[in-house]
Amino acid sequence: MKVPKQTAEIFDILSKGQFICSNSSNERTRKLFDIIAEEDNFDLLHDYFTAINFILEEGNEYYYLSRLESKADLERKIETAFRWIDIVDFFKSFDTAFTSGFRFQPSDILVKLNVDAVLKDKLDGLKRWSKKDSYKESIEHIITKILCAEGFTELENEILNEYKVLSSFHYLENLISSINIPEDTQDEIPE
Amino acid sequence: MFEKRKSLSYKQEHALELLDDNEDIISLLISKGVINQNGGYIEIDETFLDFFEQILEVNEVINTAYINDNFEQVKQNILYYLQENNDGRKNSYLKAVKSTLKKIGRVTKRNIVDLKRNVENTFKTEPSFKVKLLKLENHRKKLSDIKNLIEQTEQLITEDERTFFATALDEELRIITVNLQLQLRESRHNLIETQKQIVEFINQIKSQSAFIEKLRQVKYLKDQFEIRGKSNINALLVNANALAFEKKPSYPLKLSLDELLGDKSRESIKKINGKLKTKVKPVVLVADRISAEYLELETENEIHINMDEVRNNFAASGNHLFDFIQHYQFPREVTYEERITVYCQMISMYENDLEISEKYSRHEAIEYAMVHPKSKRR
Repeated sequence: MKVPKQTAEIFDILSKGQFICSNSSNERTRKLFDIIAEEDNFDLLHDYFTAINFILEEGNEYYYLSRLESKADLERKIETAFRWIDIVDFFKSFDTAFTSGFRFQPSDILVKLNVDAVLKDKLDGLKRWSKKDSYKESIEHIITKILCAEGFTELENEILNEYKVLSSFHYLENLISSINIPEDTQDEIPE
Repeated sequence: MFEKRKSLSYKQEHALELLDDNEDIISLLISKGVINQNGGYIEIDETFLDFFEQILEVNEVINTAYINDNFEQVKQNILYYLQENNDGRKNSYLKAVKSTLKKIGRVTKRNIVDLKRNVENTFKTEPSFKVKLLKLENHRKKLSDIKNLIEQTEQLITEDERTFFATALDEELRIITVNLQLQLRESRHNLIETQKQIVEFINQIKSQSAFIEKLRQVKYLKDQFEIRGKSNINALLVNANALAFEKKPSYPLKLSLDELLGDKSRESIKKINGKLKTKVKPVVLVADRISAEYLELETENEIHINMDEVRNNFAASGNHLFDFIQHYQFPREVTYEERITVYCQMISMYENDLEISEKYSRHEAIEYAMVHPKSKRR
């Protein structure tokens, strides 16, 4: 089995729970994406990783690793999923177009906080995850320490302090979309 | 004033400014019914507004009824034309048909351009998802209306009123109909494109708004602490084994000792050492002064046994060594054991000057050899 020579690099990123996205502003990551996407390579890498108990998964313009049996217990997963729901909800309230390819600056959010009480309220709810008191620090913590660290956004322009949402954000959207709420429960939820 | 027709309130004062404060003009316009007055506000009469919009081709509202009207008019005029025997009147009907046909082509094209612009504007600017969706659906309906009209018009020209177009031998009419057909065909192609766009927009909005709606429901249940009971999140997450859920792994590998000893790692070690700064400042311990006692000179006397002297005395004594040493007056008190040690030392140091015989003698528990001075005996 002849795996691509970048396999170690790919594994290095994916094994940390990160994603390899097609729209990353990092040229190296884009290159790695192209390598995985190349014909035959996906199957090769998939087999290769399966041998060491990882499953290479393909999403909408992104790749990630999963396991046959997760090492994280259900409680931890629920905790993580809850955090993601809160965060996605916050950013979607900031801008409904907040999805893969969206660009934003933390200062934009800060400005909108002043005129949007709902958004402010949601940010207060997020303090659970950011553990910061000031709004500015809280937003920064969520963006850099959660979204960027987990590979859903990245700093694209350092001068403008502008961030870009990566295609891995689809993973969060898919996860939330696949939560099934029975119809009679849906009716209980107020508009 | 026409420019501001969209805004709901156009104050009379604004109009006055435009007209250099000439109230007479405004009152004249009002009396003629061109302008309606409503309290302090004025607005252009609907009829005139439509007229201006038509002339300037800026209407935003797509008016399919207008095309439809024209269409009906053509039909009627054709009918009159066929029934009429008077040439003069026939010609006037023909003229009416020609002008209306020209109008149809122009209006249809205009409508399609407007429609396209409206669709894009709605998609880009409408903030509410629901209204956006409704508006787009409406545009889609309008689009199919226009499409129907185009088909009807085409049918009218080519099929229904073939007799008219065949009998009315008029060069201009022929050119107009050909032109109209070309315009209609172009319009149809444009319509297909627009339709595609509308469908795409609607789909995008539907998927987006569906997600937002889902997110809202999920978030609500989560905040009510009901989500685990009322949705399949547990089952879903049991099967979700992505590494993203796990803690960031770290692989604590030990440093290679061989590598650390190498020259390459020296720089790194220096760097890390530089970073390691403890806040605790090492206190240099100052020793106490050395007390004067230690500095005082002290003499200790030890009486040394001079072996040379002992040997010289021994040589003069004529006694054998053991006995001599037992009775020798040392400068200090010397114990029996020490005397034996001196005996041994004497033998080992001055072996050449002594004559060690084979004879042995005993004194208490010790057996010793008889030793005599060498030179004296010979």
